[in-house]
Amino acid sequence: MATSAGNEGRFGAGAPLRQRDLPALAHGRGALTVLLCAAVLLSLLRVPWGDDLVRPGGVAMVGQVLGGMLKPDLAPEVLGKAAAAAWQTIAYAVTGMTVALAMALPLGALASGTLVRNPVLRRVTMVLARGSLGLLRAIHELVWAWLFVAALGLSPVAAIAALAIPYAGILGRIYADLLNDVPPQPVTALQTTGAGLAITFLYARIPLALPDMISYTFYRFECGLRSAAILSFVGLGGLGFQIQIALDDLLFGRVATYLLVLVALILAVDTWSSQVRRRLTQ
Amino acid sequence: MFELIGVTKRYGSHVALVPLDLTIADGETVAIVGPSGSGKTTLLHLLAGVVQPDRGVLAIAGRNARSIPHGRELSRLAGLMHQQYDLVPTLSVLHNVLAGRLGEWGFFKALFSLAFPQERQQAFEALERVGIGAKLYERTSRLSGGEQQRVALARLLLQNPRAILADEPVSSVDPARAEDIVRLLVQVAGEGQHTLVASLHSVPLALAHFQRVIGLRLGELAFDLPAHAVQQHHLADLYVLDQQTMPLVGEAVGH
Repeated sequence: MATSAGNEGRFGAGAPLRQRDLPALAHGRGALTVLLCAAVLLSLLRVPWGDDLVRPGGVAMVGQVLGGMLKPDLAPEVLGKAAAAAWQTIAYAVTGMTVALAMALPLGALASGTLVRNPVLRRVTMVLARGSLGLLRAIHELVWAWLFVAALGLSPVAAIAALAIPYAGILGRIYADLLNDVPPQPVTALQTTGAGLAITFLYARIPLALPDMISYTFYRFECGLRSAAILSFVGLGGLGFQIQIALDDLLFGRVATYLLVLVALILAVDTWSSQVRRRLTQ
Repeated sequence: MFELIGVTKRYGSHVALVPLDLTIADGETVAIVGPSGSGKTTLLHLLAGVVQPDRGVLAIAGRNARSIPHGRELSRLAGLMHQQYDLVPTLSVLHNVLAGRLGEWGFFKALFSLAFPQERQQAFEALERVGIGAKLYERTSRLSGGEQQRVALARLLLQNPRAILADEPVSSVDPARAEDIVRLLVQVAGEGQHTLVASLHSVPLALAHFQRVIGLRLGELAFDLPAHAVQQHHLADLYVLDQQTMPLVGEAVGH
């Protein structure tokens, strides 16, 4: 509908819109929006807003937690533990992402369908690669962590595998799309110089997609740090593990310290990635 | 170099070229002028072998265009240069120029060259010929439009096709640079004894620098003359306003 309206506009400048050019669907969509908003508001009536919404002592507990947050425990012993845990979390995230990258690059390249000329073969490799990428990321890292801890015990390998597998699925999927969506002209230009698919991939697709790939990988590394911290809740060590112990002991000041360290880590990666991105886009 | 006999091309219901007969000799420099949508780009794409005619026969270097395999063999006969240069902005100038050699290189040489550039001397010489040898190691995205067009030309020099086909090579650079680029294009084509066919928006540039000028209008040959024989009335007929079939012709005349 939009394109037909556009063509009309180009050739008959100033011509009045005809009845069939009016977007009839927008009407339906508007009504649907109103309906959905009403449904959300109505659902609020079903929430039991009674005194029993918050459990007894819950409010006091929240006060305690918030109080602890305002007074992070900065004792040298706690800071030492925080540093060691942060290091462990970083190590898990970096190693997990490295393995994820090694899996995502070949799978993503195959899933993009830009490496195979034969249409049937391309279809087959794309379906296989996209399918396995989907399988990898369909299961959450926490579930993978439980599985690997059950299979391997509390070993760093379990943490790294749990992180690497879903992240490979996510990265590979995005890489495939980015490699597919590069501007076509430089790619065709290389093909007319006689370069084959593999060489065109090296000299046009990868360099054209690289800035976006790197910036997305950084973003995912940030998510990986958070995931690595959470993974350690299953007992694998790291910031999450320390947070869990401190919570069990009701030491909210310590919880605050560990959370602050996690926030600092994320912010540091964010600063780093935006600097890299600036250099790439210049 | 090129011989077209009754060549037609249409895209859907849009007729890009009506039956066209045309011969271009080895080493000729030919400019194609005409309003937007007159079939200039289609003609160049046909000559480059990237599209095939619907009807008629197109011979490139005496061979039926259909029988020339894409890839290396075609790249030795014809090289196409676009208005948007079609470089890879994130690669260095050196790699973009060396890309002209990719048809001749094997995969491993190409891969190795990304880390340890091969045939650097040739790339440097090509860049020197187009006047920007000093930019060898710069990132291509940092170059101006005119400089990028020179990189695209250097890439073609390394590809070394028998015919250079340039589609609106100067429509993205300012008029002062445009004259330089066209002069350079004609000069390097002459030095390397390449046939040169270029489509141009600017009639004065076509008349000043090319041996032969072809006027296309609505996919038809309006005129085909030596540059010195082109008269004002030829051009007036070429760009005459025709509201019914050419609603956008005003744009082309503005140039």
